[in-house]
Amino acid sequence: MTTEVLWWIFAVAIVAVSAGVVFARTVIHSAIFLILSLAGVGAMYLFLTIEFIALVQFLIYGGAVTVLILLALMLTRMGIAGRPEPTTGVQAPFGALVAAGLMATLIGVAVATAWPGNLGDTAVAVSIETIGEELFEDFGAPFMITAALLLVAFIGAIVIARQEDED
Amino acid sequence: MVPMENYLVLSGIIFSLGVYGVLARRNAVLVLMSVELMLNAVSLNFVAFSAYRIPSSADATGIIFAVFVIAVAAAEVGLALAIVIRLFRNRSTANVDEAATMRW
Repeated sequence: MTTEVLWWIFAVAIVAVSAGVVFARTVIHSAIFLILSLAGVGAMYLFLTIEFIALVQFLIYGGAVTVLILLALMLTRMGIAGRPEPTTGVQAPFGALVAAGLMATLIGVAVATAWPGNLGDTAVAVSIETIGEELFEDFGAPFMITAALLLVAFIGAIVIARQEDED
Repeated sequence: MVPMENYLVLSGIIFSLGVYGVLARRNAVLVLMSVELMLNAVSLNFVAFSAYRIPSSADATGIIFAVFVIAVAAAEVGLALAIVIRLFRNRSTANVDEAATMRW
């Protein structure tokens, strides 16, 4: 019972901070809301008893990705003369329409679908040994390809963002 | 414990908010942050299905998918932020509407 109450508190908080990410007036507030939202989803993984993904979520998203985003925000601020940057364009109402339609569809499908009978009533813990065995045995080749992708992407990022001599 | 549909509804709401952010926001970094929201909603869906599956101890495929989503998201955010920084240096703007010519 306590878990359920806690779950609802977290769910409402996640929706609130996610709305903050897309509606906040300043980019820094959006970034801070994003950190809270990512941490909240990490808490959801704890509710699902998948501690490994929760840990990865806190480390990669809460740490590395948000630091990268804050750094990019710092390097691309327009804050000259205190003029507030426009954060939403003229297409915002149409975006809201599309998003509202998509939200209604997704919620309707999630609630109305009769999910297959082999779904349980409660979340079952998956041990980290199982995850490791599957990741390195059944999914060994995709794992290697992902590693290569990360390496290539970050070398490419360094090349693109490099300060050139003639600048 | 809450039923699995709650997780699906929650992730649907987060995903829709991310879609709104991608469509409405004009700052490239804000668009990227909205994409992160959408990726997170998808991972939450994968992990929820994996956790609620009955012979759960023998199958972690959904969790592996979430791991791959996180890895690809990390690569994507690093590369995209490099492009944004380069765009800002060349055009002194991070507004995606002002960078619509596809020409350097």
